[in-house]
Amino acid sequence: MQSNIKKAARARAIRTDLIALCFLLPFTVLYTVFTIYPVFQGAYMSFFKWNLMGKQGFVGWDNWEKMLSDKFFWASLWNTTKFVLYSTPTIMLSSLVLALLCNRPSPMKRVYRTAFFLPNLLSVAVISYIAIYMAQPYNMGFLSNLMHTMGADESFEIFWLKDKHLAWVTITVATLWWTQGYNMMLYISVLQDIPDRLYEAAAIDGASPAQQLFQITLPLLRRTTMLILMLQIIASFKVFQQIKLITDGGPGRATQPLIHYIYEQGFTKQKLGYACTMSFALFFILIILTLIQRRLQREEDDA
Amino acid sequence: MSAKKEMRAHSGMIRRVTPGVVALEVVTILLALVAFIPILWMAVVSLKTDEASIPSAFHYFIPPFTLRNYIDILSGGTAVVRWLFNSVAVACIVTVGTTLLCSMASYAIAKLKFHGRNAFFIYFLIGLMVPGEATIVALFVWANQLKLLDTYAGLILPSLAGSMNIIIMSSFLKGIPNDLIEAARIDGANEFRTYTSVILPLSRTVIVTVSIFTFIGNWNSYLWPYLCAMSEDMFTLPVGIPTFVSQFSVDKTVPMTVNMIASVPILVFFIIFEKQIVKGISLSGLKG
Repeated sequence: MQSNIKKAARARAIRTDLIALCFLLPFTVLYTVFTIYPVFQGAYMSFFKWNLMGKQGFVGWDNWEKMLSDKFFWASLWNTTKFVLYSTPTIMLSSLVLALLCNRPSPMKRVYRTAFFLPNLLSVAVISYIAIYMAQPYNMGFLSNLMHTMGADESFEIFWLKDKHLAWVTITVATLWWTQGYNMMLYISVLQDIPDRLYEAAAIDGASPAQQLFQITLPLLRRTTMLILMLQIIASFKVFQQIKLITDGGPGRATQPLIHYIYEQGFTKQKLGYACTMSFALFFILIILTLIQRRLQREEDDA
Repeated sequence: MSAKKEMRAHSGMIRRVTPGVVALEVVTILLALVAFIPILWMAVVSLKTDEASIPSAFHYFIPPFTLRNYIDILSGGTAVVRWLFNSVAVACIVTVGTTLLCSMASYAIAKLKFHGRNAFFIYFLIGLMVPGEATIVALFVWANQLKLLDTYAGLILPSLAGSMNIIIMSSFLKGIPNDLIEAARIDGANEFRTYTSVILPLSRTVIVTVSIFTFIGNWNSYLWPYLCAMSEDMFTLPVGIPTFVSQFSVDKTVPMTVNMIASVPILVFFIIFEKQIVKGISLSGLKG
């Protein structure tokens, strides 16, 4: 009797396991094959000489040693870091300011929000060509044309993509324009949850709008700011596509980020093993950043 | 609700129209214009043909406008039509596939009591730590070994199984009351019936959110299609744009038309789903 019940329970458990497996299988297979397996394939490839024809031979730690002494690797990693340093503060600040501006009571609220968010919906190829065309010199680009229409001397030109500093400015501004809207929306969603009562109470106590901003709004945005900051840094470390399209790493290698160099070594120079080695360096950096982000988020959640 | 409205009205009365308020409004209008002008410029340039005859920056925004470029590109047997088709097909299949696979797996994770449920969930969480950009070279070689390069399967399959969607969906499904599922069981529904007749209808909001973001993400995705699609016939619009544009050294009107063709569908998509998109972003902020 007892054992029959047990048997039936076991049969039911096995049945549930099988059914669950049916539901999990399609996702699990694709996830394993295309997300998890490439990590191991990449680790494996980093110990081989590997070109587009396939595996060429075991080289041990050669790729890793080469990476550590490759000055272009370090230069491109530094360029990526530069991009993080340029883009993160500007995007953080502008998305916060825009969120505060858009969250004021105004009949145009939705229009503003849409205007700042729309660029975020465009493909990186589209925003890159808009940036390139805006920046063209000799009246071909919008900026040059506008400048001369407004009365600047015809002989005066700004070469946005030829000078390395201006190239960074162009890349940063294009990225800012493209991505700020998303963070702005994150801020707005938090701002909307702040009860009006808090401001009214503060106003009755005689707090000026500036005081309300610094003593109520900004402290309440702390958690969101930490979250956006980390996500922004992680995203910026992966920068590649808009730089590939706008400057292609130039002038020279002045704006070449790490993934661009990985791409060049892997696909142009056919050193796929070496490219995987450098991908792993990036992988480690990103994992460390992600762990820090999770840690901060957990601490904030607990607090 | 009405109390909140009243409060809003009340606080509106406190806020007088001061010079400061006007100044902030003007600043916001100017910034919104600056943000919108590049998109507007793309639109008006695509509606011009003889670019050399445009005397100044302002004249771009003044009629006459013409749809000539659109007609030429969309009816002239250019590769752009093929890329448009590829983009639509790949984005739609990826969206439907992702939503289906993720909701199935999330149902098992959230509602079925089976052995190894936690192990599976933790295994899926690992994916959050794997940045696609750092494994793309290996994925390329692996896809080559699987003979997936330059095929639709290659464009679609690697994009179907993302960790983030599992987390969003399973946490939503956990909120569906077990009573409803029990009721369906008592009525004789098995797990598959429960999935189609209880879970899917009740998770409509989260399915819509995941679908919208998957569609936008895939429509704009560049790096993987760029590596995977080798022949021109397999390009999606974002991959094709740089190739196409490089044929035009001076003229911008035709390239901008292609940019518009890649952008208009997603902008229309935004107008239709604005509410869900705004809500979905705030959801992603909570999850991080």
